Amino acid sequence: MKLPETQLALLEAASATDPKTIGALTEEIGEDTAAVTRAAFELAESGLLAVEERVLEDASLTEEGERYRASGLPELRLRAAAVEAGADESSVEMGRLIDRSDLGGPEVDVALSNFARKGYGEIDGGMIALGDAPEYDPEADPEAEALDAVGVGDADAPDDAILDRLETRGLVERTETTVRSVTLTDEGVTALMEGVEATETVGALTPELLTSGEWEEVEFTEYNVEADAETVHGGKEHILRQTANRVKDVLVGMGFREMEGPHADADFWINDCLFMPQDHPARTHWDRFALDVAPMDDLPADLIERVEDVHRNGVTTEGDGYHSPWDEDFARAVALRGHTTSLSMRYLSGHAVGDLEPPERYFSVEKVYRNDTLDPTHLLEFFQIEGWVMAEELSVRDLMGTFTEFYEQFGITDLEFKPHYNPYTEPSFELFGRHPETDELIEIGNSGLFREEVLSPLGVECDVMAWGLALERLLMLMYGFEDIRDVHGTLCDLDLLRNVEVVY
Amino acid sequence: MPVVEVDPDELRALAGAEDKPDSELKDDLFSLGLEFEGETDDGDFELEFAPDRLDRLSVEGIARSLRYQYGHDRGLYLPETNDAQWAIEVEGSVPEERPYVTGAIVRGLDLDESRLESLIQLQEKLHATMGRGRAKGAIGVHDLAMLKGRRAGDDDHGPATATKTITYRGVEPDGDRFVPLDDDSDRSPAEVLETHPTGETYRDLVDGLDYYPAIYDDVGLFSFPPVINGKRTEVDEGSRDLFVEMTGTDQWTIDRMLSIVCYALDARGGRIEAVEVRYDDRELLRPDLSTDTKRVAHDRIERTLGVDIPGTEVVDLLERAGLDAEPSGGDGSVRPGAAPADGRADPSGLGDDAPDRDAFDDALSYDVEIPSYRVDVLHPADVVDDVGRAYGFNELEPTYPNVSTVGGRHGTSRLEDAARDALVGLGFEDLLNFHMTNEEALFDRMGLAPDDDALGAREPPTITGPYSEAYTVLRTWALPSLLMVLENNTHRSYPQDLAEIGLVAGVDPDEPTGVAEHRSVAGVVARTDASYEDAKAGLQAIARAFDTALSTPPTAHPSFINGRTAEIVLDGESVGVVGELHPNVLVEHDLELPVAAFEFRLDGLR
Repeated sequence: MKLPETQLALLEAASATDPKTIGALTEEIGEDTAAVTRAAFELAESGLLAVEERVLEDASLTEEGERYRASGLPELRLRAAAVEAGADESSVEMGRLIDRSDLGGPEVDVALSNFARKGYGEIDGGMIALGDAPEYDPEADPEAEALDAVGVGDADAPDDAILDRLETRGLVERTETTVRSVTLTDEGVTALMEGVEATETVGALTPELLTSGEWEEVEFTEYNVEADAETVHGGKEHILRQTANRVKDVLVGMGFREMEGPHADADFWINDCLFMPQDHPARTHWDRFALDVAPMDDLPADLIERVEDVHRNGVTTEGDGYHSPWDEDFARAVALRGHTTSLSMRYLSGHAVGDLEPPERYFSVEKVYRNDTLDPTHLLEFFQIEGWVMAEELSVRDLMGTFTEFYEQFGITDLEFKPHYNPYTEPSFELFGRHPETDELIEIGNSGLFREEVLSPLGVECDVMAWGLALERLLMLMYGFEDIRDVHGTLCDLDLLRNVEVVY
Repeated sequence: MPVVEVDPDELRALAGAEDKPDSELKDDLFSLGLEFEGETDDGDFELEFAPDRLDRLSVEGIARSLRYQYGHDRGLYLPETNDAQWAIEVEGSVPEERPYVTGAIVRGLDLDESRLESLIQLQEKLHATMGRGRAKGAIGVHDLAMLKGRRAGDDDHGPATATKTITYRGVEPDGDRFVPLDDDSDRSPAEVLETHPTGETYRDLVDGLDYYPAIYDDVGLFSFPPVINGKRTEVDEGSRDLFVEMTGTDQWTIDRMLSIVCYALDARGGRIEAVEVRYDDRELLRPDLSTDTKRVAHDRIERTLGVDIPGTEVVDLLERAGLDAEPSGGDGSVRPGAAPADGRADPSGLGDDAPDRDAFDDALSYDVEIPSYRVDVLHPADVVDDVGRAYGFNELEPTYPNVSTVGGRHGTSRLEDAARDALVGLGFEDLLNFHMTNEEALFDRMGLAPDDDALGAREPPTITGPYSEAYTVLRTWALPSLLMVLENNTHRSYPQDLAEIGLVAGVDPDEPTGVAEHRSVAGVVARTDASYEDAKAGLQAIARAFDTALSTPPTAHPSFINGRTAEIVLDGESVGVVGELHPNVLVEHDLELPVAAFEFRLDGLR
């Protein structure tokens, strides 16, 4: 028979008649307790050893216990003082006795209550008188004796009732330990008689073992394979990037091409092309981030003229313009884009990738900037999903079909289309969907068919439908995050990012 | 978006829907585009809606829309207007910054507390929306009984029909005194701006004018638009006849605001009476409740909605939207014919099932008459939207557009993703920080000055009049963001290897927008034994992955330790910096361990 080294050592050290504790064996074999214990159980499993468990009680003195062991129990000191003061004859003033017995602080209470409990005498009106047991032997007080016994480590000597009392008095602490002892079984004896050899075990598989061929001879030390390993975090793509990429995947799959363009742009591309009147509340100082740079010169003059005309006079003869001021300087002012529809305008106008012919589908998932109050659901900059479809003829039903497909990819079904108003689309819809978990009806996007006032100056003669939504909204919906600031920005919580579930 | 508070019981009464339970009422409102946001303490509904249908800024307006939806009313409604007895004379002293005025009289009102509240709310909401915070249009409502008009003939204004006049004129800031609303003592207009809470709120609108706008009757100044009315003409529950005036920077805007108010008061049983507005060069009779007409092709409706609708149904839907529609054939003519049995107008005279019905409809168009409160209708498309709403957009069956296109990612975004993959593979935690930050974070805390010759040192694009000290510029480099993340996560376990690929920018007059934007790749290795090697090893791996030749000649950068800093040169082009961050920078960010870092332009990997 072959056994691993520790098991063999243990088997040889064990006796069939004399149970030995693991502790003793550990010392004998010279391995650590965990390894010996594991070997003992492994041998018990194969029937070579019997393991017996016993619960041992032990007691030790508390700090207070140690003190009284040295100075004497307070009640005994009080009694001794009382005897000395002649309290066996007549009552003595308590104050005198306390001084004399040198009791301090809480010891006084301890002394008095135990004095009474043990029946040493009577305490009445501040006077102490010894009772009828003057022959009481202070040298043979069982509690003092027990204290001594525990103090020298002989916890078995005092009887349990006394130990209970001392534990209640907080002078002794009792602990329980499990002691395992092993004995050889008959099978174990037989095995030893037949002869047992050690198999060699190794901790690590080394290149030497492999090249020398020695690996064939060895057993590998067993690991505790259930124990946790050290935490490693690895790298991870940011959760919002993952979500963005998932959106991009879906859109590319639906035939959309990605747009790119400047974050800082002329208000012309951001707002004027979108038929946003210049006195629209969203264009006031408080809503936009204007940049302190020179106005943008490089804008197509013919397009500016057509956009101004449509603002002032409407489209052809059938439309009306706004009764709002229009100033070219404002159109040229540069600001951080409030929506990526500025990119849609650049692409639709032909100034990004040349003139487009229907059909086309384009998208972007990029940052936009809006002055808002920072709170758990609003940031000053966030990602906008922007998408549009250009075709000869598009209806509201096409718009609905596209969004139904898109949102289904994220588990959002039963879309509702709430008629809405945007200066740049008509008809316009806010999209509502049921939260996959809470079933709450929430707004998940804004959409519509671009107005002729938008398309006509850009030179687009077919239909274009568009929509937008905040990526963060989709993320929070998918993950149930409550505070977007934990995720996006320098206040992010690294642990949250490290431990967040992956998206797929 | 505007939010209106509406008493649901009042709404039910006005809409003729007394028995509607709240839940159904909310559904009906939602389908009009009015979203239930919650309830006030008094149980009023808070309804939010997009700012197109400004006629719905009052319970009366919302009720009118519901009545159309329920079919209680059909078609266009035009309130009666009685002849003018009053006129507003516009004097030459009116400040040219606020030249326009309009007005109307509404008589016979029975105002109670809630009606008065509704009127005040309508006024305030119109100020906030169309009135652009009173700058473009401001409303004053007065108790007519308190006004004293000069009799016609008292002046030499020619043959006027109205017999009583008030005047819109300019007043010197320290000119005539009056007692403003919510006040007890008389003040000059300038004093109102200084001392009255409402005056302080709106002083910016008139500040700097030589003359302030003012409205006078025979007694004197009673309104100081757009700031505040006088107390003398204050409207209360006992007021029966109201004088409504509006002033502003655009005649059309204030006339339309007036229409909305007149329609609301008409719904309360008020009788509208015209007011003459006498400018120097022309006279207007107001309110102008005249309608507008848009010609809408049947084909446009079917195209937009994506369904075939019989012409008869379109007329019905338009009437249910509160509009009148006169159908005409392709040649502009209307074929006479028998009306269908249900009494609907059938322009074709053919009946719904006639074989050439579609052909006739295709050539059909409608002359749609639009009431003056519909300030949102600019184009036939807006009328089509009304048809769709009346039809019920949610009744439409979604279809996937039958056009095929080829999708694809932009090259820049693919490059960015590939670089991010490489960083993540090297164990970097990918981060996402704000592009907006402040100069202290970019420069001071990094030991850098904007005019240093070093990565990150350049003029940042600055936000004009920033709202928060924390966000005043666009970042010129990305490492400061990563340092702030390290700073905010010192309680989290190390190592912290963080990376970010994101926008950085700088002022650059040579760029079309004046702002140079590019993507930057930044990484930090924060651990007890972090060294230059760690950053360089990561860089080498990335450079290898993108098959670019990396060299790192020594350089100096104020944020890094001298002698442990190198320029990142990719394929011969200097694109960034790598090194061990300077202890000054670490201590500034409360870091107690070394950090090796790199940052370079993403396009260096191309």
